[in-house]
Amino acid sequence: MRSRNAAVAKWVFYGLGTALLCLLQNFVLQRIVLLGVFPFLFPVLVAVFAVYEGPTAGAVYGLVLGVLCDLTIAAPIPCFYTLIFPLAGFLSALLSQGWISAGFFCCLTASALSFLLTDAFHALILALTGKGNLTAILLLTARETAVTLLFVLPVFLLFRSLFRRCRLGD
Amino acid sequence: MKNFLKQHGLWVLFAAAVIAVALALLSFFSSTSSPLANLAGIVTAPFRSGYTFVSDWVFDKQSYYKDYKALEQENKDLKNQIADMETQVRQAQADSEENVRLRQLLNLREQRRDFNFESAKVIEHSSSNWTSSLTLNKGTDCDIAVKDCVITESGYLVGVVSEVGLNWCTVLTVVDTDTSLGARVFRTGDIGVAEGDFSLMGESRLKLDYLPTQTNLLNGDLIVTSGLGGYYPSGLVIGSVDEVKMNDSGTTQYAVLTPKVSIDSLSEVFIIKSFDIVD
Repeated sequence: MRSRNAAVAKWVFYGLGTALLCLLQNFVLQRIVLLGVFPFLFPVLVAVFAVYEGPTAGAVYGLVLGVLCDLTIAAPIPCFYTLIFPLAGFLSALLSQGWISAGFFCCLTASALSFLLTDAFHALILALTGKGNLTAILLLTARETAVTLLFVLPVFLLFRSLFRRCRLGD
Repeated sequence: MKNFLKQHGLWVLFAAAVIAVALALLSFFSSTSSPLANLAGIVTAPFRSGYTFVSDWVFDKQSYYKDYKALEQENKDLKNQIADMETQVRQAQADSEENVRLRQLLNLREQRRDFNFESAKVIEHSSSNWTSSLTLNKGTDCDIAVKDCVITESGYLVGVVSEVGLNWCTVLTVVDTDTSLGARVFRTGDIGVAEGDFSLMGESRLKLDYLPTQTNLLNGDLIVTSGLGGYYPSGLVIGSVDEVKMNDSGTTQYAVLTPKVSIDSLSEVFIIKSFDIVD
């Protein structure tokens, strides 16, 4: 019973943290245009969450966030984020479990990986529909990743504090 | 990894597949938007309006003093422009009267352009770097439908409604890669297709393609919608020719267009719900 309450509390905390970062994305980050793009935090959220919470929780979190993104953000296909975010979460968690110990550097690497996956999927769809130009796609991927990685720190600090708080609660 | 795949991996994969298929089917079979997307849009619309209002207010305050000098210069330029246009209006009035007389002589139907507009506020600009879209605060409750054209108060084309919910709609702007419109070169009457291009989208520009081989385009040529097919009204200003280029094979030319509308600074637009045009 106690562990179930702790699990519910954990997901509520993470939900509130995610809502806060969504507000940050919509209120502030969408207005900050650097190198012609604005930071796009959602792949970073999935990566950082998965680094701390492991593959199962990471994939489930990616699935939920992916569905929410598909319902509110224009995407090339209706289930774009639903398909890619669980995979990004799962791979980010594997990275922290098998390669780099969970910390800021790991979050940074996992975020870059998450972006690469998301943008590679974008590139694949654009290529299949004949609308893509490889140079333009690579340039956009590089700029979007570089600009967003500047904002990994606040996500890392928030999710690390939530993770520690929840672990103490357990 | 093995444990994960054994215990939960297949379930997560299965859930992702089911949700993805459900979203795709709901989107495919709906002429407006899927019920889930509609619900999400209704729930998030007040928040979108709220944060757009706050950030626009802050931006307005910031730019109030900064813009003063620029406004003085713009005012001066506009006065000169009005003087030029007054001369053109006088000529146009004479031409219109002549046109009416000639039409009566030839027994042609009177020209008319009747539009049924709905004004709307922009509650969100693009939420992804990979698309160029706007979210507006009007939806099916105001009879907005997919493929309705969206213009500014000056009649410049902003884009086309791509998805619509109860009190919101999403507009793909003219520079988005999914936008494709029949277009006409105003000066020559040549017909082509204005479409978004991924490499130009970041610069807020688009492409005019499939032009006849003998087309002679000049920088600054005005491009308007052709209205062919009857989907979109004719004569809406898309943009002007910025440069003329040859395609990769070097056999046909295409033009790069700059839209007349500044998409990033839009706050209010008009949706054309229906139209009746006789040219």
